[in-house]
Amino acid sequence: MKKCSLPLWLALLAPALAWAAPNPKLVIPEFAGLAQKASESVTITLDPALLAMAGRFLDGNDPQDAATKEIIKGLRGIYVRSYTFDKDSAYQQADIDAVRAQLSAPGWNRLVQTQSRKTRANVDIYIMIDNNQAVGLALIASEPRQFTIVNIIGAIDLDKLHKLEGQFGVPKLDIDLSKTPVQGAQK
Amino acid sequence: MSKEIESRVHAALRPVAPSEEFSQKLLARVMAAQPVQPKPRRLLGAGARPLAWWLTASLAACLILAVGVQQHLEQQRLQQSGLEARREVVEALRMTSQKLNLAYEAVKNQSTSLSDEKSGV
Repeated sequence: MKKCSLPLWLALLAPALAWAAPNPKLVIPEFAGLAQKASESVTITLDPALLAMAGRFLDGNDPQDAATKEIIKGLRGIYVRSYTFDKDSAYQQADIDAVRAQLSAPGWNRLVQTQSRKTRANVDIYIMIDNNQAVGLALIASEPRQFTIVNIIGAIDLDKLHKLEGQFGVPKLDIDLSKTPVQGAQK
Repeated sequence: MSKEIESRVHAALRPVAPSEEFSQKLLARVMAAQPVQPKPRRLLGAGARPLAWWLTASLAACLILAVGVQQHLEQQRLQQSGLEARREVVEALRMTSQKLNLAYEAVKNQSTSLSDEKSGV
């Protein structure tokens, strides 16, 4: 009885441990009302199976494809919602707050928060760290006529994102992952 | 007189054992005279044999063709899904990079204005 008690306990604790582990996947609302109002909307849902499939269709000999392939190698999901409107203030900040609220959960750290007076664009970048490794990225960009939510799940290597510079227009961000703020420090 | 004739006839018609040759000939004739038994009729006539072969071959060809078409369609569907997934990955990364660019520009402008302020002081 004693012999089987340890595996039994582990089996019982496994779901609890899994639940306790930080979950980088955000619950993104449908935004059905906004999609109707938007002049352009982008909905991208890429689960692990689709990412693997996309990887097979990326040409390793093409520099852009090779870089993309390298980035998505460690990813388990990419979710993008973006809505563009014909006029300013077509969406409410409350629409985004449901997502933003999830980013106050343990594990998420705000990496960058920018507010541009010139473009009136606000960009918040959050990152989830687990065992000194980025396991999730969330990006909320709100502009007068557009708002975008990006949620990337998996081992995100910011160095690899740097390599995309000049291909997708990714800037060379001077982000040092080792200086990632302690959880909640910048919230 | 009549007795003499009778004995002559009797002598002439006495029973004689048949020769062996005679028996064999007789048996051969009997065997030859037996009616030929009709051959059992086949279910399919002689002309039906190639027809059956063609039917089987056509069915097999149809089956192979159907499986081939099915595989081709499945392959096409997979390719379309893969290309669509690839397009979405590229689009998602493009959008992410675009927004990162926004943040980068904002950070850069802020640091530039700060350094300008410092140099002004």
